[in-house]
Amino acid sequence: MLSRSYLRSMRSVGAARNAAVNTSKRAASSSSSTANAASPFALNLAGTTATAVAVGTMAWYYHLYGPELHAMTLAEEGLHATKYPWVHEKYLKTFDHQALRRGFQVYQEVCASCHSLSRIPYRSLVGVTHTVDEAKAMAEENEYDSEPNDEGEIEKRPGKLSDYLPSPYKNDEAARAANNGALPPDLSLMVKARHGGCNYIFSLLTGYPEEPPAGATVQEGLNFNPYFPGTGIAMARVLYNELVEYEDGTPASTSQMAKDVVEFLNWAAEPEMDQRKKMGMKVLAITSALFALSVWVKRYKWSAIKTRKIQYTAPQMGGRNAPKH
Amino acid sequence: MGLFDSWADLLSAATPWSEAEAEAVSGGTGTAATPARGNVGDELQGASAGDKSAGQEESTPKPQSVGKEDAADEKDDEPEEEEEAEEEEEEEEEDEEEMVDPKEKFEEECKESKQCAPAKHHFDHCVERVNNADKSAPHEDCVEEFFHLAHCANECAAPKVWAALK
Repeated sequence: MLSRSYLRSMRSVGAARNAAVNTSKRAASSSSSTANAASPFALNLAGTTATAVAVGTMAWYYHLYGPELHAMTLAEEGLHATKYPWVHEKYLKTFDHQALRRGFQVYQEVCASCHSLSRIPYRSLVGVTHTVDEAKAMAEENEYDSEPNDEGEIEKRPGKLSDYLPSPYKNDEAARAANNGALPPDLSLMVKARHGGCNYIFSLLTGYPEEPPAGATVQEGLNFNPYFPGTGIAMARVLYNELVEYEDGTPASTSQMAKDVVEFLNWAAEPEMDQRKKMGMKVLAITSALFALSVWVKRYKWSAIKTRKIQYTAPQMGGRNAPKH
Repeated sequence: MGLFDSWADLLSAATPWSEAEAEAVSGGTGTAATPARGNVGDELQGASAGDKSAGQEESTPKPQSVGKEDAADEKDDEPEEEEEAEEEEEEEEEDEEEMVDPKEKFEEECKESKQCAPAKHHFDHCVERVNNADKSAPHEDCVEEFFHLAHCANECAAPKVWAALK
């Protein structure tokens, strides 16, 4: 913006210079008595100098303000996650519910020891990853506060379908205290909450290098992960080959587990996705049909007006001298 | 929603392929009961088989459209189980070897490929430079070079990894 305004002013300076040269030229041509007042050489020199100054100031200005400045280094930004061809992100595809089931298993066996998933109740797993009975059985494995009894004591009761997944820590402070001051974030909406979504989380989970690149400093208690802004992440690599044994026999490689758990987290963040896409297709189909109908109706209603012919016959003027058609 | 459901029902009824996909499963379970009844009827009433089968054809579509949601649920489960069985066999063969993470494998291949040769060259050069630098020299790290190499390898490996994963 600055350079543009500067250029505009330069143009006016150039115009002024041209005007000056023109007046001197005019003066030179009109008054022949002052011999060689402005010789071609002097004019050329003046023009060249002015151009050099103009170009030089622009170059200097660009040198000062032109190059893009980055407030952060690449390491501080973090490596941008590669876009992976997720099937469930395509317009006509749904979540792979077998993958969701595997992803929930990975979440429960691996992630749940630190990360909560506090917005997901057991009932929402029914029909998505588990059957009613399975979900009930899982809910009953946990204890929740019941209603106060006659003495006002709050007893524990086994979980029900309407209970939410239990969090590993009582509150954020407890979570921080247990993790060196770093808070493991709640994962319910994590796919929506991070730039790059699924790609970012998948890259983060699988992107821990064997060792940090030469010269990189990693703070104590942190781990090097190129995808995490700042590259120092408190979470260590957790997914290793065959950490989980899938009940459907899928080989549990690191990337397979990461892919499944990310798809599950995407479901947790957007449980309405399948319905949303279905509804979108219906909306498109119906609106396009209605649009076509409205176009036809418009053409039908306007056809009388569009096809009418206005004819003007000029009145015959005068007698014999009137122009003949 | 009722309107949309009925619209979807109409659409699925009109499309020729709908019966093969969604209705076939429930039709299988539904007809498992009805022919038995038809056979009993044949024995008892002695009616002609042609009339019975025609009657079944008329009566069977109704329970299908009513129990559509059940059919959708069943449809979700059953074909997947078949796929699993096939895949399990393949996987057992693979399991005998040491498991290699496909992402790591493809990224290693990609790092050595021609596509990533410049980034690899810069990274190796940087590592060498940093490791050989004397401690008094200004500090340098290879994070940027590492990023460029990792980015290149990821881009190259992404479709291959997805093809290998389930």
